[in-house]
Amino acid sequence: MHAPLRPLCTPLATVLAVLVLVAACGRGAGAASGTPVPDGELRIAAQFSPRSGYAIDTDDAFILTQLGATEALTSAAADGRVQPALAESWTQVDPLTWRFVLRSGVTFHDGTPLTPAAVVTALGHVAGVAAPPRALRGLGLTVVEDGANAVRITTARPDPILPQRMSSPNAAILASSAYTGGAPSVIGTGTGPMRLTAVEGTQRAVLERFDGYWGGRPALARVTATFVDDPAARALALRAGDVDIAQGLPESSLLEFSAGSGFDEQTIAAPRTVSLLMNQAAAPFSDVRIRQAVARAVDRTALAEQALAGSATPASELFGPAVAWGDRGPAPAPDVEGAKALLAQAGHGPDNPLHVRLWTYQNRPELPTLATAVQAMLRDVGIDAEIQIGDYGAQEPDLLAGRYDMFILSRSYLTDVPDAGATLRSDYTCDGSYNIAHHCSQAFDSLVAGLDTTTDVAARQEVFRAAARILVDGAVGVPLVHSLENGVSRNVTGYTVDPMAKRLVTPQLAITG
Amino acid sequence: MIIRRLVSVPAVVLAASVLIFLLPRLTGVDTVRAVLRSRVAEAEPDPVVAARVAAELGLDRPLPEQFLRWFGHVLTGDLGLSYATRTPVAPQLASALGVSAVLTTLALVLAAAIGIPAGVHAARRRGGLVDRVVTVASVLGVAVPEFILAPVLVLLLAVAVPLLPALGWGSPAQAVLPALTLATFPAALAAQLTRAETADVLSRPHVVLARAKGLTDGVVLWRHAARLALTSVTSLSGLFFAGLLSGAVVVEVVFAVPGLGRLLYDAVIGQDLPVVQAGLLAVVLIAVLAALAAEVLQLALDPVARASVPR
Repeated sequence: MHAPLRPLCTPLATVLAVLVLVAACGRGAGAASGTPVPDGELRIAAQFSPRSGYAIDTDDAFILTQLGATEALTSAAADGRVQPALAESWTQVDPLTWRFVLRSGVTFHDGTPLTPAAVVTALGHVAGVAAPPRALRGLGLTVVEDGANAVRITTARPDPILPQRMSSPNAAILASSAYTGGAPSVIGTGTGPMRLTAVEGTQRAVLERFDGYWGGRPALARVTATFVDDPAARALALRAGDVDIAQGLPESSLLEFSAGSGFDEQTIAAPRTVSLLMNQAAAPFSDVRIRQAVARAVDRTALAEQALAGSATPASELFGPAVAWGDRGPAPAPDVEGAKALLAQAGHGPDNPLHVRLWTYQNRPELPTLATAVQAMLRDVGIDAEIQIGDYGAQEPDLLAGRYDMFILSRSYLTDVPDAGATLRSDYTCDGSYNIAHHCSQAFDSLVAGLDTTTDVAARQEVFRAAARILVDGAVGVPLVHSLENGVSRNVTGYTVDPMAKRLVTPQLAITG
Repeated sequence: MIIRRLVSVPAVVLAASVLIFLLPRLTGVDTVRAVLRSRVAEAEPDPVVAARVAAELGLDRPLPEQFLRWFGHVLTGDLGLSYATRTPVAPQLASALGVSAVLTTLALVLAAAIGIPAGVHAARRRGGLVDRVVTVASVLGVAVPEFILAPVLVLLLAVAVPLLPALGWGSPAQAVLPALTLATFPAALAAQLTRAETADVLSRPHVVLARAKGLTDGVVLWRHAARLALTSVTSLSGLFFAGLLSGAVVVEVVFAVPGLGRLLYDAVIGQDLPVVQAGLLAVVLIAVLAALAAEVLQLALDPVARASVPR
């Protein structure tokens, strides 16, 4: 979803993290009574800066929903179930059409009421831009008014997860005044509990309480989000008392904010997996025995707990504990002898060692660390992996063209919609647009194709589980670790870390005295 | 000489413009892909969508035509639209330049206020305690990079002793830590340079003569010696100004300061070519003008240099 971490941050983060630990011996956190302060002001050190001027059709839309400025027709619970938001109910009229009944009493920040016409304008705009956002792309979306309080949304082909798609931050509904010319204006045109009043480039956003919010009066009077790219700088700002919440802190800093320090540290599983992908389109990894040997060679528990110092959890399959359908069992133990035996069957051994290139990128700082550890584990079974660390953007064309051997990739599998169908289709089907593994299996494609007509959430999740099992059985890459998301706050109540990056400022969020 | 330099400014700017325009192309930046990455999931963009976006951005035109169109617009003050935000670049650049100008000026004033007196005093008492402290401090100041110095200052002055804000921009207090961080290197260099120059000047015959005539130490030092020593520092200040203005990336990222460094950093990360090009062009222009200004200032301060200028 978001741009990878900036390369510049690596040395900064290391130095800053060490210094934060040193400083931990110094000033302690102030005590608080825990009682919510009426009309408080919340200051956030936010993890991801706006990159596209808060354009609603870009990833910047996530920032707007996180800060409580915008809302969509629906919202999604952590288990993937869709919930009412600006629409209070919806029904599927026919395979191509859904009817959404709008919530009554909703007012935009500019004072105008939520109407079907406003929804038609907003969704029509985002569906009609040159490059529609991921959640809405390729649907052939058309939206029309349907009576005084409803809209009909039609897709070109059956889309059983349209209500989930409507929870995407890109599908946020802005007031008609936002669309009077040029790019839609997001200042003062949303419906959320907080009204965006000012943005200062990529540095800061200021929001004020929206008294007319349909969900009740928000506890906070004002929110200031400062976008701080460097994670250790966010930790320092929190320690200095400049902010009340800091998102995404480095593992070393988290030690400082542990229980009893006056801070509330939360760490939860994120729907993101770091996988060791192998190019199945060419030798040697077109041979399933060699892929299975790699899978057996890798000690995923050691990667998570030692190499990454517990800042991730070991993975046993593509989906992890962040989602209802994810595997919660232990990761398979390494089997060095089994790996050697498989390699021997494939014709490799001490007399014919296997030399491969292992690529990864430094935009996410944990990846080079993992690459080094994986290299050592592969060496133990007789595979000589030469590490090449580059820039993801430069590597991508070669990856997609199959001009690589092994690649360590960090990938969110629920980027926009709380449904894994899109990732399974793009990453692992024969004609998938992001099929780096170059996996192609008719059985897998048929399974995923079944999602086109499966509306029931539980049934879809069963398909996700089955798909993940197929990938494990075929050694289609090795899921290494599942990422964790964290956030630390002080003197704040009602804050929960959202791994989907959609919720942060809610009406219940408050400063405590 | 000044007029000759003034005449060369447009030529330098034009040459730099061509390089700046070509640089992203020569480095193989795929702008369309960068623009689309924030919008669509697929790594390999749909060719139809990519072509549409390329046409919207004018990237489907021949390169010379793109350059002439861009440079023509630049000459009229139109820096184009940001690829990322689709909003005009000029106001973004103006705002960032304003912030960086304030920060850089503060840093230079701070550097001069610390570095020059320290250098002069060290030169007066060579080998003494002051000299040794100044020498060690200036070596450290030159050696310690900003990405280490910035958090150290935050820890000292924002966390351990909560005197100043750790980040942000807008209040005078928020400017102190970034300015101090930026000032450290030029202050250290100014101290070293001033010390060496002052020591050299103090041993020159006219200064010795001035002393012999009975002038006090203070008068000799500030009227004769320091003034000449300052000319070298001044000649560097123009380069410092341009360098600091554009090179404050680390400081502006760490302290969340919305200056030119941060703007360029974001634009490079996002491969937002119009912003990168406009920002770099501004940096070149500032560097050229700052060097010119430094030269004028040096002439004003140094009678020897003034005398050597052909009339």
